[in-house]
This record gives sequence, C-alpha cells and structure tokens, in this order.
Amino acid sequence: MMLSEPIRTEIKKWMDLYPAGRQRSAILPALYVIQREFGYCPVEAQNELAEMLEIEPAEVGGVVDFYHMLHTEPKGEYHVEVCTNVPCMLRGAGQCMHHFEEKLGIHHGETTADDKYSLDHMECLGSCGTAPMVSVTERKTGQIRYFEELDSAEDVQKVIDLVNSGKAFTTLERWTPEGDPKLTGKAAGPYRIGGMEERFLTARVGKKDSHKIATYIADGGYETAKRVLTTMKPEEVVEQVKASGIRGRGGAGFPTGMKWGFLAPAMPRYLVVNADESEPGTFKDRIIIEYDPHQLIEGIIMSAYAIKSELAFIYIRGEYYFGYTRLVEAVKEATKKGFLGEKIFGTDVNLRIVVHRGAGAYECGEETALLTSLEGYRGHPRMKPPFPAVEGLYAKPTIVNNVESIANVTHVMRHGVEWYRTFGTEKSPGMRIFCLSGNVKYPGLYELPHATPLRDLLFKYGGGPQHDEHPFKAIVPGGLSMKLLTADQLDTPLDYEAVQAAGSLLGSAGVIAIDNSQSMVKVARRTLSFYREESCGKCTPCREGTGWLEDILLRIEEGGGRVKDIDLMARITTFIAGKSFCPFGEASVWGLQSNLAKYRAEFEQYIALTNPEEAPPVIPIRPIYRPDAGKPSVATDSAFEIEGESPLNRDTPVLAVGD
Amino acid sequence: MTDLVTLTIDDRQVSVPKGTLVLDAAAKLGIEIPVFCSHPKLDPVACCRMCLVEISGPRGMMLQTACSVPVAQDMVVKTDTQQVKEVQEANLAFILLNHPLDCPICDKGGECPLQDQTMQFGPGLSQLVEPKRMKNKNYLISDTIVLDQERCVVCWRCIRYLEEWEDKPQLALFERGGKTIIDIQDGKPVDAKTSGNIIDICPVGALTNRVARFSYRPWEIERTPSICTQCSMGCNLRIDTRTHKLRRVIGRENMQVNDQWICDKGRFANAWVNDEGRLTMPLVRKNGELTPAPWSEALALVAEKLQALKQQHGANAIGAIGSAKLSNESNYLLQRFMRQLIGTNNIDHRDGGDVAALPTGMPALADVMKPQYGPDPKHDVIMLVGVDPSEEMPVLDVHLKRAVRRGKAQLVIVHPRQIELTRYNGPFLQANPGTETTLINGLLLALTVAKNDTTSEAHKLSAGASDRQVEQLCGVSMADVRKAADALAGAQNPLIIYGPMVARGELGAALRQALTNLALYLGKPENLAYIGLEANSQGCRDMGVLPDRLPGHAALDDRMASDLLGKLWGCALPVHPGKTYKQMLDAAGSEVKALYIMGANPASERPTWAENLDKLDFLVVQELFLTETAAKADVVLPAVSWAEQDGTFTNLERRVQRAPKALGNPQSKAAPDWMILDHLATYFDAQWGHASAQAVTAEIAQAAPIYNGLTWEALGDQGLQWSVADHSYVQPELSYARAVQPDLPKADGGLTLVSGTVLYDGGNLFGLTKQMKNMAFGAEVHLNPADGEKLGAGDGATVTVRSDYGALKLAVKFDATVKPGLAWIPESLPNAPVGALLNGNMVVQVVVG
Repeated sequence: MMLSEPIRTEIKKWMDLYPAGRQRSAILPALYVIQREFGYCPVEAQNELAEMLEIEPAEVGGVVDFYHMLHTEPKGEYHVEVCTNVPCMLRGAGQCMHHFEEKLGIHHGETTADDKYSLDHMECLGSCGTAPMVSVTERKTGQIRYFEELDSAEDVQKVIDLVNSGKAFTTLERWTPEGDPKLTGKAAGPYRIGGMEERFLTARVGKKDSHKIATYIADGGYETAKRVLTTMKPEEVVEQVKASGIRGRGGAGFPTGMKWGFLAPAMPRYLVVNADESEPGTFKDRIIIEYDPHQLIEGIIMSAYAIKSELAFIYIRGEYYFGYTRLVEAVKEATKKGFLGEKIFGTDVNLRIVVHRGAGAYECGEETALLTSLEGYRGHPRMKPPFPAVEGLYAKPTIVNNVESIANVTHVMRHGVEWYRTFGTEKSPGMRIFCLSGNVKYPGLYELPHATPLRDLLFKYGGGPQHDEHPFKAIVPGGLSMKLLTADQLDTPLDYEAVQAAGSLLGSAGVIAIDNSQSMVKVARRTLSFYREESCGKCTPCREGTGWLEDILLRIEEGGGRVKDIDLMARITTFIAGKSFCPFGEASVWGLQSNLAKYRAEFEQYIALTNPEEAPPVIPIRPIYRPDAGKPSVATDSAFEIEGESPLNRDTPVLAVGD
Repeated sequence: MTDLVTLTIDDRQVSVPKGTLVLDAAAKLGIEIPVFCSHPKLDPVACCRMCLVEISGPRGMMLQTACSVPVAQDMVVKTDTQQVKEVQEANLAFILLNHPLDCPICDKGGECPLQDQTMQFGPGLSQLVEPKRMKNKNYLISDTIVLDQERCVVCWRCIRYLEEWEDKPQLALFERGGKTIIDIQDGKPVDAKTSGNIIDICPVGALTNRVARFSYRPWEIERTPSICTQCSMGCNLRIDTRTHKLRRVIGRENMQVNDQWICDKGRFANAWVNDEGRLTMPLVRKNGELTPAPWSEALALVAEKLQALKQQHGANAIGAIGSAKLSNESNYLLQRFMRQLIGTNNIDHRDGGDVAALPTGMPALADVMKPQYGPDPKHDVIMLVGVDPSEEMPVLDVHLKRAVRRGKAQLVIVHPRQIELTRYNGPFLQANPGTETTLINGLLLALTVAKNDTTSEAHKLSAGASDRQVEQLCGVSMADVRKAADALAGAQNPLIIYGPMVARGELGAALRQALTNLALYLGKPENLAYIGLEANSQGCRDMGVLPDRLPGHAALDDRMASDLLGKLWGCALPVHPGKTYKQMLDAAGSEVKALYIMGANPASERPTWAENLDKLDFLVVQELFLTETAAKADVVLPAVSWAEQDGTFTNLERRVQRAPKALGNPQSKAAPDWMILDHLATYFDAQWGHASAQAVTAEIAQAAPIYNGLTWEALGDQGLQWSVADHSYVQPELSYARAVQPDLPKADGGLTLVSGTVLYDGGNLFGLTKQMKNMAFGAEVHLNPADGEKLGAGDGATVTVRSDYGALKLAVKFDATVKPGLAWIPESLPNAPVGALLNGNMVVQVVVG
C-alpha cells in the first residue's frame, strides 16, 4: 500500500467536506495531498485513491493528466514557473525566463542536476500588473509563492538567493525585490491600487490587517448581512439585486439578479463562487480574496440566503495559493463568530462554505466546466440546456457567480440600489475594478465607475505609455480573449455597450496596453499558444483549430510565412468561432481575428522581411511505417493545389486560398 | 400515445414523437446529417461538431448540433445551406488534420465512417503544411483490443460505452487540448467483459480487434447473420468469412436480445472454428488405435454394435447424451433416434434431468433482455439466486446494470461469492453453498413478518427457519435478510432468477420449492425463472432431450403427444422414464453398456466417469475435437461447428433463432450433427429423408406443438419466441409445500468448496484463441486472505486441495471477495477438473494443504 494511514485519514477528511455520495469531488484536494507526499502523483497512489473514491483508476489518471498543476513525474524541490503570457511578455517575461535559464543553467522544461530547481513556462498567473513574475512551488509542502516585478537579472538572482537561503517561504504573500532589499523573505503587501476618490470594493486594501475579520467588522462589516438575514425575505434580496442591475464581472456580463431568477424550485441548491480567475490580463478577484476576503464572505452569506442555499463553494484557481490560505482563514474566522455555520445571526439560516482549489485549467473558469471540475472530473464544459440554474452542481439548481459580482452584492445591500446606480450608466451600473497591464507606466488595479473613458484609465491612472517614445498601438479592453481596439479608439467609455459598439467586449475589464515597439505577430502567436495549451480538447474545432493556428503562426514567426497564410488563418478562425462547444472557442480566435483585420500590414511586412521569396514550407508528413520515417518529404504545398475540375471538389469555397 | 411534434427540415414537414433529436427527425425524412460522436445507443455529447445545422431559435437561425437538440413544435431546420456545408467541410478538415490517413493498412478501411463522410461531405483537399502530431499507433489496451491514438478522433464513444453500459470507465481521456488521447490507466487494461463492442462503435480505425487484425478487408468478406452459441443469451452477431475461414465476429442488432452488444468471449474466442486440430475423418478403433475410416464403415459399425447390444441387453442398456451447445435440429434427431430406433428414454444432457428447472418464468425473462433506455424498469426488484451474469452471460449483466442505473431497479443477490453485481448496494445474501433453501425460507419468514402476517400458509411453512438457523447455517446476518425482505415487500413486479448452480440434485429440488413458496407469496409465480447456461439449454428441454419429457415438454404418459409423435415417427414410443445424465454416466459399464455422446465431454468432468466410460462395451462420440471423452470412444464421428451448419437455437427466454451455415472446410469430411444422425438412421432401415436442417426444423414444428409455425423462413434474422399459450404443460400450476433443507456434510474444520462457471475458463475451446491466453483462469484455488494466512499458504503457493473423492494441485490466489470458510475453484480449469473434488456432490468439504 502506497498511501499510509495518516494520508488516508487526511484524504477522508477532504472527502467529508462534500455532500454524501459526492466524495469524488475531493479528487483534487486528495491529489494535492498525494503530490505533497510524493512530489508527484504516482500511478500506484492514483489507483489507491480510485479505490477510496470508488471509481476506476483510469478516471483518476484522466483527471491528473488534465490539470496542469498535477504532475505524473517529479519536479525539482522548487518549481519555478515563469509567466510568459501576453501581459507579462509585453513587460519582458522573455528576458526574465532567459535570466532564470542562465542562472540555473538549465533550459525551460528541465530540472537541475541536484534536483533543486525545475523551470517551466507558465500561462497567466493573475499577476499582470506586476509583470514579469514567477511562481515558485515548494515540493515538500505544496506551497506556492509569487515573486513579482523581476525586471532585471539582479532581481532574478535575488529570487534564487532567497530560495537558496531557505527564507523564501516564511510567508506566502507576494514578494518583490523592492519590498525586501535585505532578502529576509518578507512580504511586499498589496500591489498598486487606485481609482476614484472613495473606493468600495478596494477600500480596505493596503490597510493594516485588511484581511482580518476585526478590521472588517470595525468598518461596519457583517452588519448588512445581519440586517438582511433578520429583516428581509430571500425574494426581496433577489429583487434588490435585480433592481441594482449588477452585471456579471467574470466576462459575459450577464445580469446577476436575472440569473438568480432562473433557479429551478428543486432543493438543495448550491452557490458556487467562481474564483478561477484565469483570463490573461485579469487580477482583480485576487486582490479581494487576498486583502479583503470578508466582503466576499458577507456577499456569499446574503447571496446564498437569497437563493436559499445552505452550501456554498468557492472554486479558486490552484495557483492562488496565498489567496486560498486567506480564504480558508477568513471562513474560519467568520464561522467562529457565528456568521457561518448553523443558525447564522440567530436565525434559522444555515450556511457552510467549502473552499475548493482548482489545479490549473483555464477552461474551468467556464461555469459548466467549473462545475464538472468541482464534481471531480476533467474540466470539460457541459451541454446547455440544462443551465446550471436548473441542473448544475450534482444536477441540482446552482448559481455560479464571479467573486467581484458577489462582492458587489455586499455593497448594493449595504448602500442601496439607488446609491449603486449613481455609478456607471443605465445599462452598466456600478463601479468596476479595472485591471491595467502591459505597456503603461503604472499598471495596477483601478476602481472606477463604468463608462470611465479608456483614455483616462491609460493616461490619468496608468500614467501613459511605459516608454514615452513608444505610443500605444493596440489595446485589449477586457482580457486577452477580447478583440483589440486600435490607438484611435482611446476615447471609448469603458462600459458594456460602448466597448461593444467599438467592436470588442468589456469582458473581465482586463485592459492590456500594447505599444508600438511590440510585434503584433508575436502577440498573435503567444495568444494562440495560450489557447492551444488551455483548450480542454472536448470539441473538434477548438482542439484541432487552435493547434493549427499556432503552428502556422510559429512558422510565420520563424520565417516560413506566406502571405496566403493570413487569409488561411482568417478562414480557420471563422470555423472555430461559433462552431465550438463552449464560448472558449470563440474567445480563442477573437483576438487573432481583430489582429489580422487591423494589423494585416504588419503581418505582410513581417512575412516580406523574413521570407521574401515566399519559400514554400517543406511538408514533413511521413507515414511512420516508411523506413525513412522522419525525413522531410520532397513534396511541397504546391502538390495540394487543385488542378482542373475534380469530382471531389464541392461547390463551396474550400479553405484553400490560391495564389 | 406519445405527443407528436411537427417541424420543418429543409422545407419538408415531419412529425415525430416529442423528445426526438433533430438528427433522428431528419433521418426519418431520409436526410443524412454526418456524425462522429453521436450514436443511437449512447447519450449525446455534441463534441465532434460534425452535425452542426441551422436551427431556428429565439435569436433566429443558429448553428446547433442536431445530435443534441430535441425537436420543438414549428421548429425550422436547414441542413443544406451554404454555411452548413462549409462547416461540414471545415470540421472534416479539422478532423483529418492530424489523422494519419494510413487507410491502406487500416482494418477499418472500407467500412469507415470517416472515409465515407470525407467522400460525401469533405473538402477534397488539405491545407495543412505543418507536421502532423505523432501519437501511439500500436498500443494494446487489453489482450484483445489495439488502440491507434493517431487515428482517434476523440468522439468519446468508447468511453461512453464503458461508462453508460458497462459502468466501468476503464478508458478515459488523458492529456488535454490537441494532445488529448484515449488511454487506459497505466497497468490497468480494460477488462470489462463486453469491451469489444467499442471496436464496433468506433467511427474510425482507432480501436481494432487484435484477434482478427489484418486478416480481412471488409470488401472481400462474406457476411452471415448468425447468433452466438457460447452462452444462453443467444446474442445476435455476424460471422465474417473468407476462403473457408472465420475471419471476424461482430455484434448485430436485436433489440429483443442483445441490443447490439456481444461479449468478448463471443467476439474473440472463436479460433477453435479454424483450428487445425479439428476432426476431419471418422475414426474407428482398430487394434486399440483410433484409425481413420470412411463414413460408411463408421456408421455401419455403430449401427451393427448398437443393434447387437440392444438384442443382448435390451434397449435400456443403451443411452445417449445430447448437448446444450448444439442446435435444436441435432438434439431433436438424437432423441428421435433413441426413442424411435433404439426404443429407450435414456436420453439427457448436462444440466438436463438432474436439474430442478421450471418453465414458468420465461415470458418474464424477456423483459430483462430488452435494454433499458427510459426511466421505468419492467421489474423494480430483480433477485438473482445462484446466478452470476457477469461470468455466465455478460450481456445480461449489461442489461441488468442499465436496469439498475437507468431504471432504478434494485438487485437482491443470493450467491456464495461476492459477484460483480453486488457493487450496486442491493441486499447481498452470501449464503454458504447448499444452504439456500434455509435462506429462502428465512427470507420468506422475514417477509411475512414484515407484512405483519402470522396466519398465512407461507408463514407457517417457513416458520421453522429461525434467525439462529439462518445466521449459523447460511452465514448471513438477519439484518441483511430483513433488508432483502423489505425490498421484496415493496416491489411492484419482482423477478426471481435462479440458475443450475443451485438447482442441481436434491438440493435443487428443495430450493425450487422454497423459491416457489416465495414467488407465490409475492403473488408473482409467473416471475420465477430458471435459466440454463448453455446456448441451447432451453432448446434441449424443448426438444425432449430429457429422460422424462417428450418434445414440447409433454410427459411420457401424455396420450395426445405420444400419439402425435408415434404417427410422425411411425413407431410406438418407449413409456418408462429413462436415466438422467448423471445416472447414465454413473451406470456406464454396469447397467449401461453403450453410450452415444454428442458434443459432450463427461470424461473431463469427473474421474469416476472417465473410468466408467472405459468400461463400456461400446462408445460413440460425435465431436469437433478429440476430447478426453472422444479419445475413449470406439467410434468417433467428426462433426462441424455451429458456424458450419444450419441450425436453430432457443435462448433462455425461449427465442428461437437461426444460426445459418457461414463457412465450410472443403478439405474436411466432417458433417453436420443432424446429418450424421439422419444418415445413421438409414443403417437402421429408417428413411427420415431430411434433405436439410430446415426440413428438421419443419419436423420440430410438428413434433413439438409449442414450436408450431416456427419454420426456418418465419424465424428470419431476429428469431421468434415459441408460444406459451394453450400449452398447459409449460405452465405448471405452482403450489405451496414445505421446502426442507437437505442435510449437508459436516464442516470438519476444512473449507466448503464453491465452484461455478466463469467466462474465460481456459477450457479446451477457449484455450485455442491464443491472444486470450492471459485472460483465462489458471489452475487456481481462490481463498480469502484470512483463510490463506490461517492455513499458512501464501498467495501464489502451490497447494493440494483434497476432498473425500480426490485431490487437485492448485495455486493459491488470495481473493477478498471469497467468503471466509470457502474455497473457490471455477469449473473447466485447464487440467484441473473441479469435478474430481465434487464427484457429483453439490457441497463438499475440502482440506487445503
């Protein structure tokens, strides 16, 4: 037996957290326990876990393989992962990786000979305002800490020195070279925060002990929840939220109150808070979770009350380890105070919150995939209908809301609908935490009312272009998925309707500024690399299409592009968008579509420069049963041109775009 | 009547039942929408996106998957627009992007949905100039299935089959995104007993049949719709042949029997048909040696010897053993031969006259043969007594799993082993072998108590089964018995199934009465069903291959039946009951001087019988192979297999099905069983004159009134059930009587032996499919680890298992599913006949050391 009794006991404790008969939900926490114990998830341990969960071993194996943070082979004692996604890339993540490679003497994807360090690329870690950055995972404890603002080789050296000194994990709060010049490992505190004069969602961030319940209570915290639970009916809360017009902050912008109204009458019901913040360019939920978790919990208490749920889950992305510890602590504090548990505030209302860690899968931010993941499966999206409000978690009526949406509920209920509607516009009411990253002077979080002009955000708060000689070229207004805005669209007000009118979407309000020193070819390629990496693989167009696009972009980047590749890519994107199983497919190509449409000249220029002869690519496809398998073929793509009228050619235009 | 919904597809109106999927509604109009992931037997998942069509919705015409959207009134669907065609082309381009296109060496080539759809809907050219992804191409996921991950289009059909039908998701998606693959967990091969069905439903050549691999091209094979004869289900299958060889077996749909599934034994374990060791010439013993001889010589010798022995010792000194593995035609002619030409009722088959079977439950059994798609099961509680469908009839196992999972049926299981179906939380009563009568009495008592009934006959009859007796003798806790009683008490339409394991001999007779009492008390005597284990167990009974029954189950003294048969055969029938299988073999060499054994191998069953066979004056064996029994024969008559002759078989729910000749070996002189008997009759100066098996089928329809109308032509490809109406002798009146527990051998500190049929038994025929060698049970005795440790026998140690009758050398296998105090040795293990220990007894104590 590989799993010892203490480990089994620990796993059983996790299993007990979930409703009876749903113990499979504990698969990720259990695998974390196993990984902490063995440094990875050995097959034998997986099989024993399968037995404990009463499922087939292959089901555990499939889950381990799906989630990025679970390993089937041991990593080094310290696993350094450099975020190289677009927001970090714009601010020098490539250099950062290079420094690590040099200093550790290994290439990314490798482990040092002494088994101390493994180095890897990583997708967005929700630290875009403090790029470039790395996350370091300590194998023996499973703890993760972020090391941010690593602008130079010296900064990178400091991280390595700190890790080597053994002080890197004295706290899990983020670290910056500036915040810890003496290398004691001390925390840097919250990152840059700003915006309007009086802030609400981020009001306490930066204050001492802002995450503690005492601080929150001193600010009048939990008073609202108490009032709501003791004086209002659940239906009244739903009405208030409806009237407030809060729109979902996860990306789709669906009205929160309306979603609640779709609930099927069946019981039990579940509230699931989506804290799987993974959209590149987005890091707003992180600040709430890390520095003001109690406003979220108060929001959960009122929301759960409104929808009559007695069990709420917070599904937090696995990389947010520090946020996870803060949430767990906050839930404990609130439970101790009697704000959670049985008979809250002396009423008959019960509520338990389970904080559930994901394990590294962007797709799990999609609400049905999140529920599938929470149930203990691979994070594949599910068919809608039935919608989660009818058949969600464990096939019971379920509401999935973003962290910031729930935090907004707290303020609506505290200050009232009318107050809330004084911010923003009629259709986009309220304030918003804008996440500003990329090539600006002051990247960070800015709490502003909806409809603040993009120009204000970039210049007034962001301080304008990072380098004065490089003006803005393109702006992503709502997380990497959203279509690009050009430099002449800076006056677009940042609300749902105006951004949509400008040809994009407000999404998660992750604003990424790209200046004119950046190559749009590289932006496109890195964007597609992300979607290829994170595609769940369920449906054909997304699974195959994202990889195909990345391959083409890689070839262009490496100097093998042809002008006709631009049209080919444009055409491929139209067969992913709207044809995929879930919105992910759509989101995976919007950026590329707008990039190709708006910066086509740059692509053409790049191709002309790197492949002036338009040399055709060598076709490397070889049937592997040939004796010379692996050698390039003598065929070129001209072999694929249509000649004459072939009976196989249908009367619809083919993907080919001839010369 | 279901509600009809009318919608318009490509400007044509169609009305279909509510809940129909757009895909199926289109099919009704003859409009083909291409699919990969969608399968009529599986829940929709809508992942391949091949079936995107334009469907009207609140936001106008939108692309939606026809495989997952149910129809709605006045819905408008367009499947032929420019957009739909473009999407189909694009999707095929995506699917083919990384597909290896190794069609020339792919088994699926020629019958591949991917090829067909590429031809019909594909773009006609590729735009990919990047390297194709490389994955595993020749990868065993079990001993019988090869996976090619490059060909896979990730449609999930295999995963969904294993999940939805087998409830064993042993295949899963691994990796993610473009790297997504279907795979097993490292070191955990697929072992679901119907796993081969995933080959049939794979829409590409990703899953191929290892046994049949590279041995055929689909356009060169001859296809014969047939049935499987490896168990009593009668699953429909197709035999593919070429150049006189069986090349492949695949499943064939019959919604009354097997849906479209077959088990792995039926699919893969068929190498014996092509085996070179088959008998091809009659053999006659000359100077002690079996020597090839012409048919005329062999048959003349058989006739001469049998007639001489009949003269000398009387007709009852001759006996015949039929076979439940063989067709109705062969078995019918064998009993006719014995009754008409020898003049004796000494005719039986294994698990025939020695078993307490009841014909009452057959109509009810038909209900569990239908796959459960909807929520309401026909039988809400299904009780299995001494039956292990997972090992004995895997497709029934699949049906039962569906009944439990989709229909919310509850299983009540009485079995000495913790069989696979016990995983469904239904009450499981693990009674010690031979104590079932006491257990059922106790259950009946608990049931009457649960109903506050202390006055009924059932209560009085079962009152003797005290709690103490049940707990001590049966080793079952009363709490479990009460749980089972509660389940039965709440049942609307319970079904009780029992099998030969608990129905043999004196114990079986007692249990039959106990079960009868229970069924009567439940008010459902018609739901008490016996099932045999062989392909034609039921047919043999129907044909009168029993010492006390004529064709059609008529009693020997049934005037009408005897008259009918007398006229048909032109003779007077013997009137005295004959000997049973066991009695004949026990008396072989003493009272019985000659045996005619067709397709049976009693010498391998029991050492004493092997000895007895040696003592016979004359032994004729009609066989495929030179078995242990055939080796003792004076004359061996070579027969052909079920695949090489026409015949009908009657499955456990009395469905008569055709198994037509699919191939023949022109080099062989072996003949169909019925034909051998027909020719032999001529040596007795009887001219039966059957020109074909169909002629015998027609005669059966006359001889057995229950088979009226069941001609070869009428049976068709899907078979027909024989009628239970108007034939009182197949619907006996059941009545209450005391069921007395027979005495059992004293437990003397040893272990009680449990045996039983297993699917991969390693027997003579199974062993010839060499790819499955590792799947077969070895010569093992399974012990509870606690017992093993007590005995000091480690896992894997070689031990001698000894009973009063014999001893076997076996390897110990620790098996937590074996109840402490029991030792499990399956039947038909290679070179380890468990019969040596049992010697015809149902319950035996063994000592392991």
